[in-house]
Amino acid sequence: MGIEALPQPLAAYTALAAISVVVFGVFLRITRLTAGWLPYRTWLVMLPVVLVALWLGTWAWALLITLLSIYGFKEFARATGLYRERLFVLAVYLAMIAANVLAYVGRFGLFTVVPMWGVALLTLIPILRNKTEGMLQSFALSVLGVVYFGWFLAHLTYLATWEGGLGLVLYVVLATQLNDVIAFLFGKLLGRRHWTALSPNKTVEGSLGALVFGIVFAFINWQLAFPQLPWWMVLGLGVIVGAGGQIGDLTLANFKRNVGIKDFGNLLPGHGGILDRLNSLTLVAPVAFHFVRFFFGGFP
Amino acid sequence: MSDRETASPSGEPHAFSYAPMPDVGLSVRERLGQYPRVPDITFDALRTVARWTAVGLTKLQFPIEVRGEEPSGDRVALVANHQSHLDSLLVLASLSERRRREIACLAAKDYFFENTSFALASSLFAMAVAFDRTKYTELRRWTRILREQQRGTLLVYPSGSRRRSEAHDAILFVIASSGWSIVPVAIAGSAKAWPVGSRVWRPFRRVRVTFGPPMSVDTTKDLGVSLAAFWSANT
Repeated sequence: MGIEALPQPLAAYTALAAISVVVFGVFLRITRLTAGWLPYRTWLVMLPVVLVALWLGTWAWALLITLLSIYGFKEFARATGLYRERLFVLAVYLAMIAANVLAYVGRFGLFTVVPMWGVALLTLIPILRNKTEGMLQSFALSVLGVVYFGWFLAHLTYLATWEGGLGLVLYVVLATQLNDVIAFLFGKLLGRRHWTALSPNKTVEGSLGALVFGIVFAFINWQLAFPQLPWWMVLGLGVIVGAGGQIGDLTLANFKRNVGIKDFGNLLPGHGGILDRLNSLTLVAPVAFHFVRFFFGGFP
Repeated sequence: MSDRETASPSGEPHAFSYAPMPDVGLSVRERLGQYPRVPDITFDALRTVARWTAVGLTKLQFPIEVRGEEPSGDRVALVANHQSHLDSLLVLASLSERRRREIACLAAKDYFFENTSFALASSLFAMAVAFDRTKYTELRRWTRILREQQRGTLLVYPSGSRRRSEAHDAILFVIASSGWSIVPVAIAGSAKAWPVGSRVWRPFRRVRVTFGPPMSVDTTKDLGVSLAAFWSANT
């Protein structure tokens, strides 16, 4: 069974997205759920941006992911104060661009060593600046930027370059976003028991609901996005999205609590910053990528 | 290894501490309009490119005659007459690159910073910063900002509008009482190069920018009269 045979379900997903937008809009109007309009309007901008980039081709998708990584890291750097250290920030930007370029051209070996070269570049900065104060913190935060916000997200670019990988890109992106919504809804409707100090509003019921939804949604998408995968891999992808998405969410929530902020930004009204939207995807993208790749013995 | 060797030169080990940028939580529009500007790699780079482009295009399209000495000093307020949207670009084109880099042009928040695209254009091309003329506490806020600011160049149109020629005393008082040096600037010809009400500018009109000597301030009223005299003599 070859992974190259995966379909290109972009047209179907675009139609589904358009229908969902209309249905959700009607739902909001009927239920008069006024709190939902602001995030809904932001989705009306975000969805076309994502879909147009995918329609334009891999280059546009790679560009979008690069820009999102850079902007997301910028939010992180501004929140932590790392942004004052321009050299560190620029080095991280450079590593992010390199990761996405290498993913785009399909050089897997070089792509996997981007974190090493990125960190190596960062080691030069305290030496060049001949400074010790605050350098450990800046270095550590920049390493996080290179690996977590840069290299991890660049897996989305790599996934799109893979012949037939578009289905996985669409599934991973949409499923993680939906998963957040489901966790929130389950928590609001059924949530009783809170379970983590990292994000005190999270409930056991909401998290389990999101996990179950992740698995169900993977099977719903099976024939459309990745019909060649065996059932156990579909199950695996569902668990990765259902659990991994929440872990990614908690990780960023933890960062925010450490720094003492509520949102990473306010670029996306009703959502927060770019990182508040990408929190789940950042972790799910590389895990899903390597999960599928491992069991198929590597990309072509 | 002794304790001393593991610590910083001050004797205290460095702990992680997070100091978010002061404008975290503000919208892009608000961040573009703030003064003093918080360093931002993206905005700064865009502003540099936009400034070079705007100044280059202005110089190409308008033969500018510059009279008087370019202002010197660390805290300088260029106080100019205002007749056209071109005025800021003409003043920018008449200054050195060092001055251009740090200049900020006071612009009405309710007009130039009403939406993000207009705020981007004003901030990146014309170095605008937001002055909220609808708030009565705004002058007090600017007094505090200017007193704290040890370096900078401001471009101020004390008339507040292209349709008005008399200077508002209040903003002049704020600048003068904050210890900033007031340099009068007279812009001539810009009203014909891009008249009020016209949607497009008219290239290749002759324009003149005159820098006067820094004004000595006794009373704000005298300042307004002196400025009016300087503008009328040089336009």
